[in-house]
Amino acid sequence: MLKGIITLLSFQFLGECIAKLFSLLVPGPVIGMVLLLLFLMIKKSSFASLDNAVSIHLRYLPLLFIPAAMGIITQVDIISKEFWAILVSLVIGTIVALMFSAKLMDILTIRQERKK
Amino acid sequence: MNIDALIEYISSTPLTWLLLTLGSFKIGIIVYEKFNKQTLLQPIIISYLFIISIIVFTDTSYAEYFKGVEIIHFFLGPATVALALPLYKNLKYIKSLFVPILVTLVVAGVFSILIAVGLLWVLGAELPTILSMTTKSITAPIAIITSEQIGAIPSLAVGFVIITGIIGALFGTALFKFMNIKHDTSKGFALGLISHGIGTARAIEISEKAAAFSALAMGIGGILTAVFLPLIIQFIF
Repeated sequence: MLKGIITLLSFQFLGECIAKLFSLLVPGPVIGMVLLLLFLMIKKSSFASLDNAVSIHLRYLPLLFIPAAMGIITQVDIISKEFWAILVSLVIGTIVALMFSAKLMDILTIRQERKK
Repeated sequence: MNIDALIEYISSTPLTWLLLTLGSFKIGIIVYEKFNKQTLLQPIIISYLFIISIIVFTDTSYAEYFKGVEIIHFFLGPATVALALPLYKNLKYIKSLFVPILVTLVVAGVFSILIAVGLLWVLGAELPTILSMTTKSITAPIAIITSEQIGAIPSLAVGFVIITGIIGALFGTALFKFMNIKHDTSKGFALGLISHGIGTARAIEISEKAAAFSALAMGIGGILTAVFLPLIIQFIF
């Protein structure tokens, strides 16, 4: 699995370096992700060691954002002051967006099928 | 016995918070699986409530807590890179529905941000909250690093991401029925685009095709947001 971990870290490193070098606003790890995607597309396959390294990272993904998420305890003021705005935006925003996305995709899919 | 030395050690070593975080997450997983993966019992929520009570009870500062678990936070970077693999594996589906995918990604992706931000603005929320809402539909690791980039509050952003995921997973199926959505590919794509990983977990229960399209939407949606959002925000301000 070491080779897989080295691969992930190298692509992150490369991504961060490119972001710094060209003063890009895109986060380094996302550039690393795109580069790894291109690498896999060119190579046309993954390898076992990378599969293992990826699955261990993604299996416990939610664990990885607990440290950042816990920062919520420093935001009590904002949340209590804007509680209703946040709640309405999250609930209504998500429900409307979900309906809109699914319907749009469905209409476009049906239209494409008719053309064939 | 030197009780004072023991207390001093426990309250100063990063191991304490590391063990509490890992342990409570493990307990979260056990509870989640015991209750048939109930959406509201996500392992992170159980772990979250547990750690927050301890932090508040022991009057620990966030900086102190973060120092202990910084090593966990570090792995967000490689985990983001790792997202390339599931995206690569599902990329083959893009060809079958190229135009619908592309149009939905851009139009629905932008719409989803605008409606959430618009509601906040109308209801009088302040700028940091509004900025933190812009990453609500992308997977948490990308949301955290992107929100840092655009001057939002990462912890608020993750909170919004998790709640958006849960709302989508809870109501998705009912909404699709109500909207008379025909194709599983549309359902999966919407779940991944709006409710990222938590939505994708729900899409797996719909069908394999739905899950693949959900992972596809989550991956590309995450990349596009991370690339264009900082540019747009820099352009506006």
